[in-house]
Amino acid sequence: MSVIEYDVIIIGAGVAGLTAGAYLAGRGFRVALVTKGEPTACLSTGGIDVCSYNDNPLLGIKELPSDHPFHLVDEKIIRESLDNFQTAMNEMDMPYKGSAEKNRFILSALGTFKTSCLVPSTMEAAAQDAKESIHIITFKGLKDFYPGYIISRRKNAKFSIYDAGVSSTMGIASHFEEREFLEKFLLWLEKQNIYQDKIAFPAVLGLESATKITDTIAILTGKPVFEIPTLPPSMPGRRLFNALKKYFRKKGGEIYWGWPVIGVEKSEKIIEAVITSSKGRPNSLNGKAFILATGSFVGGGLTATREAIIENVFNLPVHVPGPRETWFDNDYFSLNHGIGRAGIIADSSLRPAGTPMENVFVCGGILANTEILKNGCGHGLALATAHLAAKSCMEYIR
Amino acid sequence: MNFEHCIRCTICVENCPVFRVNPEFPGPKQAGPDAQRFRSDRERVEDKWVLLCSQCKRCEMACPCGVEPAQIILREQQRYGKEHPQTAAHLLFANNYYLSALGSLTAPIANMVASTETGKKFFRKMGISTYIPFPKFRFRTLRNEKKNLNTGIKKVAFFFGCFINFYRPDIGRKIVRLLSAMNVDVVLPPQWCCGLPALGNGNLALAKYFAQKNAASLSNYIDAGYDVVYTCTSCGLCLLHDYPDILKIPQAKKIAENSYDLHEYIIKLINEGYIKPDFGEVRRKIAYHIPCHLRALEIGYPATKIMAMIPGLEYEILDDTCCGLSGSYGFKESNESTAVQLGNRAISLIRKTGAKDIVADCGSCRMQLGGLSGMTALDPAEILCESLGIKDQKS
Repeated sequence: MSVIEYDVIIIGAGVAGLTAGAYLAGRGFRVALVTKGEPTACLSTGGIDVCSYNDNPLLGIKELPSDHPFHLVDEKIIRESLDNFQTAMNEMDMPYKGSAEKNRFILSALGTFKTSCLVPSTMEAAAQDAKESIHIITFKGLKDFYPGYIISRRKNAKFSIYDAGVSSTMGIASHFEEREFLEKFLLWLEKQNIYQDKIAFPAVLGLESATKITDTIAILTGKPVFEIPTLPPSMPGRRLFNALKKYFRKKGGEIYWGWPVIGVEKSEKIIEAVITSSKGRPNSLNGKAFILATGSFVGGGLTATREAIIENVFNLPVHVPGPRETWFDNDYFSLNHGIGRAGIIADSSLRPAGTPMENVFVCGGILANTEILKNGCGHGLALATAHLAAKSCMEYIR
Repeated sequence: MNFEHCIRCTICVENCPVFRVNPEFPGPKQAGPDAQRFRSDRERVEDKWVLLCSQCKRCEMACPCGVEPAQIILREQQRYGKEHPQTAAHLLFANNYYLSALGSLTAPIANMVASTETGKKFFRKMGISTYIPFPKFRFRTLRNEKKNLNTGIKKVAFFFGCFINFYRPDIGRKIVRLLSAMNVDVVLPPQWCCGLPALGNGNLALAKYFAQKNAASLSNYIDAGYDVVYTCTSCGLCLLHDYPDILKIPQAKKIAENSYDLHEYIIKLINEGYIKPDFGEVRRKIAYHIPCHLRALEIGYPATKIMAMIPGLEYEILDDTCCGLSGSYGFKESNESTAVQLGNRAISLIRKTGAKDIVADCGSCRMQLGGLSGMTALDPAEILCESLGIKDQKS
């Protein structure tokens, strides 16, 4: 028995799921999103990587192997998805900077450069080369962020330590949301005599007001200020997730937390409902179409056993990159682990291949042959395929 | 408890309200799955910090791998409570039910004592916080009501919970009238504290005692064709989650399958076509604070479905913050600073919405948010009653 009729049920609360959901909800569809927990987007740097192959990410996409799912999405849709994303983030007071034609760099906590396409405005001022001198402010006891790594790579960097009273990223970030804390911090900062070109912080400058806080510090010091993404817990990732979530709700979407899908009701060609576990009775949600955006292994969309790889929700056929010996490269840090190619193969409307199901669409990291780490295409691919899946979904319902 | 499924991604840590403000608490990942690898039932629990977990369950709701850090910690809290002498505050709050029953019997005196400076000083001596006023006991509790307003086809045994019973019986009466107006036959079955306060204060034996009594009573009603409807989301979570799990109540499965949150039940009645309520206009702009335990019930936010049907009502959902009180947690002096910091943060987010009133399903959330902000904090059922013109019987 189903509780309420929806047009579209989205499974997965990551960048892909929330984006597809907001797109559809904003066009008048009744959308519900079910999720087991919070997405891996929370663990990310918050940057939207489109493709790191080329200085121009849109040209880089063209150089990707022919079976890469980016080739299923028209360039017009990719541009649209990036534009829509920037508009949404502006609306949520978390502007993203950058252009689809030019990659930029984020300075990493190791002092290396990470390529990204659109970055949160708090990282816009990030040093783009080794020439600019930077002053790093870090916090007493903060684990997983050591300015020494950065300084060892760049001679023109210095650091100071502030005692925030707490030492966790989350704790410091929520303190920055308090006016008194910020004022006290700014008084301290003024006394630091910073002569370098730019001021860098680990990414702990607030939760929902990060843009404002970064700007405040920049105005006060008269120097460009930027954040350096940290290891998880990653505040820029969490801000991205929170903003997408809020935007989806604002468009009229509904989110069901803690609803892992444990079964489906289906006829020959149609999925009718997803069943999710709950503390009491199982819940069931029915819809006209379903978008699968559960991510790959870490996100919970795929599970690997010794012999096979399983898609956890609809049990769709999974593209397995070859016999098990080829799943992993001998070098742990290699970007060529075969398992990075595992996933669902989809057609040009993002319907999964090898199944008769007509009303299921797949997007994001669960797609096959993405090799996200190697190609540097995580959130960008999620945005683009989410748009395509949402469009296909609309076409199907009409 | 599947702590081995933890991939150490720290999403739970990001969601832990206590970890954010109290450096003494190592966070759900370390206190839960990480530490669990080194625990043995044959060794005494020496980690006092397990008591700092407020059992909001946010870690469990966030975990992408299905690990239950709060549940792991809850077990350790019970072991700690058993192996170590209890503080006065823990003992009192575990026995909140008896304390409240006494308070209600002596309501005018008890309320007076609780509100005087001497009374507050006494509380503080006992390790009990007084930063927000203690809720007022009501002499006329809900369980004293004898009524059967209607005899519909649908039959409901109303598990009203201690908060409604001892402090806000007026809301309870409204709910009874609301369900009756929907042609539902409502009874107030014999009931005791759900057991959650006892669990939260490390008193497993007392929690079991309450749970067994409730289960026997509710189970009889279910056999007689009644659905159980709860309104306190923490009572609900205890019935649905803790009875089958840590409390090992034999009738738990039956109770879980037949229990409904009030708003979930009303939606069910609407979906089944049993009622077609004619919602009147409610001109309010509200911030709907989602109690952590409503989230943890995994039933979605059913009250929002009703709110969406009420003309004129503007609401914004806030489900990222814990109010900080967590039942008796924030009333303990040792947790006061945590509770106040979290409460103020929740309020600053509420203020940003521009809402005039706060709405929350949980009595203790309302107590905290209303008490710290001075804003009106309402139960969603009160909004619903306002829309349908249902009043407490006295007027």
